[in-house]
Amino acid sequence: MRDEHTLRVLDTGLRRAAENLALNRSLLECHQEGHSPHTLRFLRFEPSALVGFHQNVDQELLTEVCRAEGIDIQRRITGGGAIYFDPTQIGWELYVDKRFVGSADMEKIAGRICRAAARGISRLGVDAQFRPRNDIEVDGRKVSGTGGAFDGDSIMYQGTLLIDFDVERMLRVLRIPAEKLSNKAIASARDRVANLSELLGETPSLEVIQRSLAEAFAETFNVTLAPAEGMDAVEQARFEQALKEIDSDEWIYQRNRPAVDSPLLEAVHRAPGGLMRAGLTLDRERGRIGQVWITGDFFTNPRRMLVDLEAALRGIAVADLERTLHDFFDDYPVEMLMLTRDDFIRVLRLALDSDDTAPAKGDHPSHAVG
Amino acid sequence: MSDVKGCDLPEDLLYSIENNVWVRQESDGTATIGLTSYAGSLAGQVVSYTPKKVGKAVKKDKSCATVESGKWVGPAKSPIGGEVAAVNDAVSANPGLINDDPYGEGWLVKIKPDDWDGDSAALKTGSDAIDAFKAKMEADGFKGC
Repeated sequence: MRDEHTLRVLDTGLRRAAENLALNRSLLECHQEGHSPHTLRFLRFEPSALVGFHQNVDQELLTEVCRAEGIDIQRRITGGGAIYFDPTQIGWELYVDKRFVGSADMEKIAGRICRAAARGISRLGVDAQFRPRNDIEVDGRKVSGTGGAFDGDSIMYQGTLLIDFDVERMLRVLRIPAEKLSNKAIASARDRVANLSELLGETPSLEVIQRSLAEAFAETFNVTLAPAEGMDAVEQARFEQALKEIDSDEWIYQRNRPAVDSPLLEAVHRAPGGLMRAGLTLDRERGRIGQVWITGDFFTNPRRMLVDLEAALRGIAVADLERTLHDFFDDYPVEMLMLTRDDFIRVLRLALDSDDTAPAKGDHPSHAVG
Repeated sequence: MSDVKGCDLPEDLLYSIENNVWVRQESDGTATIGLTSYAGSLAGQVVSYTPKKVGKAVKKDKSCATVESGKWVGPAKSPIGGEVAAVNDAVSANPGLINDDPYGEGWLVKIKPDDWDGDSAALKTGSDAIDAFKAKMEADGFKGC
């Protein structure tokens, strides 16, 4: 029987992406079968570009760059978007069940775990906060992104933590709607993410980071920490079995629609309050917006309103653009100079309307008119 | 038609309370499987759906489809073992149907059962199912759909 009040702490060290993801599967399955204890795992990655479970590799990553630079390409078992992971970040993962977190509602579970992680990060000397639905941020800049997988009542929830992260490297690898490698794009990316070393003025040791997170999880969920040397034989055997499946092109490229089905669209709008630029990815098949970037020389206070707006627009249906934007501004106190919410709608609509490579009505011979 | 804490749970369907799915035996002998409105409410808006492929075997209480909502990925488990006979293209195009029309357009897979009588015996229906869902919602601390 599992001890409900103990959280095993594992550190599986620096590994290849395939191994880390096979460990996700092994530990979640073993937990679901009642074999494994509740577990907090710390992990690190050799340079890797990781897509979410349902994503298409060629739509999310610049695969030639990955191959040329020796960056592993892999598919997570969790949801969400593509990320770049390297040894300048640390990963944390909880393998627990719904009762441990105290809810069966997946959004609430994510929120409770993220708040606990934010408390752990704050112990290092920064003011980290949970930003719905899945980010942890400091002053509007993301320090940790998260996602989860579940199997019955068991859940695995994971997050990254940026320690001394190289934004330029990330921009080179991910297919994102920013002007690639321009100084503006790099500066704008730096506005959106934050490194612990930069926030603290020094680089905290892995040991200190792990202890801060572990203690915050233990306090939040009222459990005792039990550091462990490694996995047991059952988990190890399951890991080796999972690795065979995951360390293969069949797993990694199981979904691979071409990049042209997910165009990067851009637009510029000269608003009275300044020049606005918007970039976004469009999932044509589903009619959904992927990521959104908005930049420009206009004034908003707080400045972070932009990244919060981007977060609110991520993944929405194109048809919901106006409604989502109005809902956002109805609830968000912001000061803008000569700028209205209609300017945001306009620049985003301009970007969406620039999708002229989509087969327009009438282009198809069988529907040709005249 | 029955309503438990605002969740629609039609009394004429069969349910696996454990897997939080419904089952309906069709006239051609296949079994249609879908998530309950309660499961959809716990998951949140479903954004991706990957069913097992037609012709693949599904073991009882194992995954028949993988769904994603709010960055969570996990299996929907079929209480009926058998072979996948059909998947839902409408849900592939619009996974939100799983939330919006769970007992109609939003079904997950159709299974050709290996042992319908054996596997379906454990399913609940009518007021038994309603009572079991009430108890599950209490245990989950669920406020309502």
